[in-house]
Amino acid sequence: MLSRRDSNTQRVAALDALARALKLKPGMGVGEACAMHPNIEVVEAEPEADRRLLEGLSDWCDRYTPLVALDGTDGLFLDITGCAHLFGGERGMMDDLLSRFFHQGFEIRAGLASTPGAAWAAARFGGDLIVAPGEEEELLAPLPLAALRLPSEIRGGLESVGLRTSGAIMSAPRAPLVRRFGKEVVLRLDQALGRVQEAISPRLPVPPLSTERPLSEPIVRLDDIEALVALLSRQLKIDLERRGEGAERLQLSLFRVDGAVSRITVGASRPVREPKLIQKLFHERLTALEMAIDAGYGFDLVRLSVLVVASLDAAQPDFDGGLSDPAADIALFADRVRARLGDGAVRQPYLVESHIPERAVVSEPCTRFSKGSKPVEKIVPASRQRVAKDRPIRLFSPPEWVEVTFEAAVGQPSMRFEWRRASYRVVRSEGPERIAPEWWRDQTDAAARDYFRVEDEEGRRYWIYRQNSEDMPDTSPRWFMQGVFP
Amino acid sequence: MASMAVARDVVRDLRHKIAKIEGRLAERFDETQEVTGIAPRRVSGPAVLRTGVERLDAALSGGLPSAGLIEVHAGAVREAGAAAGFVLALLRLLPAPEAAAPLLWIGTSEIFREAGRPYAPGLAARFGLQPENLLIAEADKLLDALWIAEEAARLDAFLAVLLEIRGSSPALDLTATRRLHRRALLAGRPLFLVRAASEPEPTAAPVRLLVAPAPAATRLTLAGPLAGSIGPPAFQITVSKSRTAIPAAFTLEWNNDAFQERRDQPAKDTGVVVSLFADGQAAPPALREIVAFPERQGDAAGAEPARQQHPARRRARRVG
Repeated sequence: MLSRRDSNTQRVAALDALARALKLKPGMGVGEACAMHPNIEVVEAEPEADRRLLEGLSDWCDRYTPLVALDGTDGLFLDITGCAHLFGGERGMMDDLLSRFFHQGFEIRAGLASTPGAAWAAARFGGDLIVAPGEEEELLAPLPLAALRLPSEIRGGLESVGLRTSGAIMSAPRAPLVRRFGKEVVLRLDQALGRVQEAISPRLPVPPLSTERPLSEPIVRLDDIEALVALLSRQLKIDLERRGEGAERLQLSLFRVDGAVSRITVGASRPVREPKLIQKLFHERLTALEMAIDAGYGFDLVRLSVLVVASLDAAQPDFDGGLSDPAADIALFADRVRARLGDGAVRQPYLVESHIPERAVVSEPCTRFSKGSKPVEKIVPASRQRVAKDRPIRLFSPPEWVEVTFEAAVGQPSMRFEWRRASYRVVRSEGPERIAPEWWRDQTDAAARDYFRVEDEEGRRYWIYRQNSEDMPDTSPRWFMQGVFP
Repeated sequence: MASMAVARDVVRDLRHKIAKIEGRLAERFDETQEVTGIAPRRVSGPAVLRTGVERLDAALSGGLPSAGLIEVHAGAVREAGAAAGFVLALLRLLPAPEAAAPLLWIGTSEIFREAGRPYAPGLAARFGLQPENLLIAEADKLLDALWIAEEAARLDAFLAVLLEIRGSSPALDLTATRRLHRRALLAGRPLFLVRAASEPEPTAAPVRLLVAPAPAATRLTLAGPLAGSIGPPAFQITVSKSRTAIPAAFTLEWNNDAFQERRDQPAKDTGVVVSLFADGQAAPPALREIVAFPERQGDAAGAEPARQQHPARRRARRVG
């Protein structure tokens, strides 16, 4: 028995078959139920976990059709238009689905009809029923009002005037019904009978292209998966070529025997179509994920989908047949590194308009070598780049705090600073170069920085700055290490 | 096949003998063919990268190899800036390349955190490396960084690959460096392995240089050197491994175009009157958009010659 908290009382939320046989009912108080049957087991309901489970199931149902939608908290809609023949007809598909769910340990009921409403009613009130087109009215007529997916208050109102079955509503005049109970009654009825179209909204976006291979013997090893990727990508290539497109984002879905689905996505910075390239990308990703993929008892369905397509015109190869495009080489290289080590693994710096050294550069995942890359905002175009001289070649971001001391030596005062627990004596210094805070971005109390180039005794050159705090002239300024010169 | 191999051995023996008779080291073989048995895929530019400093070139028997693995060691992590700077200066000396081949700078997260991240404005200002020609790859683990380097080394689309790591690791042994070296040789591109805070270890790289910063010269003004100022960067180079096996140390200065050796006294004026522009172009881009007149290429430079015949450049090279 599951309990839930409902307006400050513990109520029974759901019951299993055994508890139902004890004449317990959902909605009754837990105390009452325990009084009736003291040794009953009460478990707190977890709606979040239920939802996750339902989402997992909906992902798994992806193997039947890409259009899977959640229905409330306890149901799934599968739009199997054009998919049933792949599983040997509607009956074959339903049997397959029921037996697979049974073996995973779920008790489910399924209904199949031409409209979502009728299928909903068939599943809940019929039980594993296939409704032929045109027979919806016959199915619904004897069923109670709940089969029409009506909210309980409307249902109560209808029942109070003696309309207890769907058939009674069908035969009742429509205009008074709408006037008294609202449009929903008629809308639900029309939806169930197919007079009004009802669309289901799939949980996952439907990929433009996908190809799959069901396996009679589940596979476990990565090598086998990669071999299948090769096979599937060859099939994809035919479709992509026909459409004149290439894939920018690909997803490999691995359906495990026990219902878990692993989805592995790789991106390409320029559209790809060649099976060899696709294979390489997945090879890196799979190698990186080797530990993360739990094959369990094996995968029995492997699907390769193209999530994002982009137009790709066939390129004319050179006579020597070699890949002569260095940009393509680099793009593939960057994609492979990113597939293996994550999106940020290969970056390219861009200059942006800012005086603050650490803000003057943004590094974006490498896109220059991809086709149709989008320019990042506020990047300084090459013609207007005015690089300040005397900038370090390596930068610490954020700057590191250093402790600066001045000592009065013979002749002139010399400066020492302590950075990372080592002490440096400054022999020469240049500066200051003042960089004012950017008032349009910073807080008003941001302090100006005075930059110095300094050289220590051994010839190492650093870029350190002094942060001037003008509000508090008494306190000694703070110093920071920002960069290293060659 | 066997007879070819025997013939090659015979030729090598003969070369050794001749060299011995002539009293010099038999250092120059066609190494690519010797190591791999295959000619490099593409040969671009000269086989050696001349530093322009006569004594250093002589110690390296002509210059640094322009393909393959080159190790550059920095004594401490805080000197990694100098080591990287030296490598970037070398890249500037590469013959003006097939347009815009990018440099791939690979580093572990550790070295980027400890020694600082590559900073594009500084690289552009000092070494003329435009931001669009720089790719930075970062890996958390050394093994991943090595993997990136191995994959990149086989491409000839990069101008060069710079792999930067900190400390010693058993992962970077003779076998690993040999693999890097062979791949880079086949691609015909240099691969610089910059190691900070690591002991010299067995390596397959034909050249190993130790780089340390040296006090910079003072800035030169029209009125003479400006006391107390920090001028162009200077490096202290020690050849730790080379074909000639001559241990040698040099102090080099980089004046934005060429290296120049500093003997005892601080560097004198190189005689360069006009410095090249940072991006290596002969003509500067117009500062503002020209509205009234159609833009003419090379207008601002007037009769300034192209890069190859630039008198300033020729002079600088000869002086070095």
